[in-house]
Amino acid sequence: MNNPSITVTNITKAVAGRRLLDDVSFAIEKQSLVSLIGPNGAGKSTLVHIMLGLDTHYTGTVSITPGERITYIPQLATIDRHQLPLSVQEYIAIGTTPLYSGIRHDVDMVRALDHVGLTASTLEQPCASLSGGERQRVAIARALLAEPTILVLDEPLAAVDYASRDGLYTLIRHLQQDHAMTVLLVSHDIESVLPLSDRVLCLNKTLHTDCHPTAFTATDGHHPTAVHHHC
Amino acid sequence: MELLTYTFVQYAFLGGIAMAFLAGLLGPFVVQSKQAIASDMFAHVALAGIGGALLAGVSPWWGALPTLIVVSTLLWWLLDTDSYSPDALAMFFLSGGLALALAFVHIARDTTFAFEQYLFGSIVTLTTPDLIAILIATVCVAGAIWSLWYPLIGATQSPSYRIPFSRTPQLVLLLYFWILAIVVWIGIKTIGGLLIGALLVIPVLTVRAWARSFKQVLWYAVSVSVSAVIGGLFLALTIDLPPSSLIIGTLIALFCIQAIARSVISR
Repeated sequence: MNNPSITVTNITKAVAGRRLLDDVSFAIEKQSLVSLIGPNGAGKSTLVHIMLGLDTHYTGTVSITPGERITYIPQLATIDRHQLPLSVQEYIAIGTTPLYSGIRHDVDMVRALDHVGLTASTLEQPCASLSGGERQRVAIARALLAEPTILVLDEPLAAVDYASRDGLYTLIRHLQQDHAMTVLLVSHDIESVLPLSDRVLCLNKTLHTDCHPTAFTATDGHHPTAVHHHC
Repeated sequence: MELLTYTFVQYAFLGGIAMAFLAGLLGPFVVQSKQAIASDMFAHVALAGIGGALLAGVSPWWGALPTLIVVSTLLWWLLDTDSYSPDALAMFFLSGGLALALAFVHIARDTTFAFEQYLFGSIVTLTTPDLIAILIATVCVAGAIWSLWYPLIGATQSPSYRIPFSRTPQLVLLLYFWILAIVVWIGIKTIGGLLIGALLVIPVLTVRAWARSFKQVLWYAVSVSVSAVIGGLFLALTIDLPPSSLIIGTLIALFCIQAIARSVISR
């Protein structure tokens, strides 16, 4: 690969003698949309945390090309009813204001919301009053304010209603193209990510398999399956 | 109202309002972080500092401050290692602090001292140096919260909201613990170590259903806590009960009133 944004080499992680990841290696090309798929418990989130530097207990290397700005959108949590009210404006602001950076102005937030199909009036609404799809769009808007060159989304449809899913995936693809970003999409929803992806990585606990989208074939009219059975 | 002309009463109101303002400012962060027990823990640790200061022959209240800063830093570090659950650590320091305090006070038993004034507050015994220290601390803490507003919200949020790939939230969390330690330090002198947690938490519980944003929660909580302190102190001028209990009683009454109002409105 000539122009990788991220290169992962021989990542292995074990906890209490149990291997969570075993010798995983791949590279993600700049400005591509790559999906990382696998069943629940396959190690997808573990791998993402290692790539982001949130987990340092592993062997192997992760290199991110200098100058890249990486932003991570974690899996949307269900609303915690004990959490205090938080307006959309506050939610976006806490995601874009590290200690050393300036406060984002409302005009930037409105522009970011517009990119994801939401209006300025959303800023004053409590986050808890939004639907799952709207909350995910707000999370993406927050991520865009950081002007990332690499965007990592972990299960972006986890708390989103079925009707909103197609729209969200289309949004992600358009944003990736319009902002020339590298996108890593983590999902167990193979059907939805296949049409979007330039490349699909299949992961289970112990093996890594690199699957090209054209390697998937439909069987008996059911949802596509991978040529490599590890998935 | 002749009592209001007395300096000690004026000092009680000034110190109490400053305490209430700080409690209203910090309370939302305490509730949000789900570490309300931390204030009780710090209060017990402060008692150990007070006991140590007694042994050393220095001012007990001032002796509590360095103890609180050291323990809050230690607590932050232990939480960061993720080796112990927050509630287990809280109980460790809470009981350890109390045990040390009892030991120190026993050793210094020749010194005339009453723990009760720090457990339940002694707002009517504030001196001029006490009040100046409280007001300076209030300005410093309020300034810190104001300038680090969004990072503090982020650092005390549930993990899914946090900036997940930077050390910044961890450092802001340390600052949050220091701020909480200072507020508890002020609290043990005014409302008492055993009751400062109530002043931090109950105003937030009272207003949370009526607010649409974190900022609204904060300003509403400040209003409630200041009102409760003023109301409790006025009651203390006429009712022969400790000011601290009247302040907390006023808070509880305000909570019950809003709960009834919410119940009526929702029908």
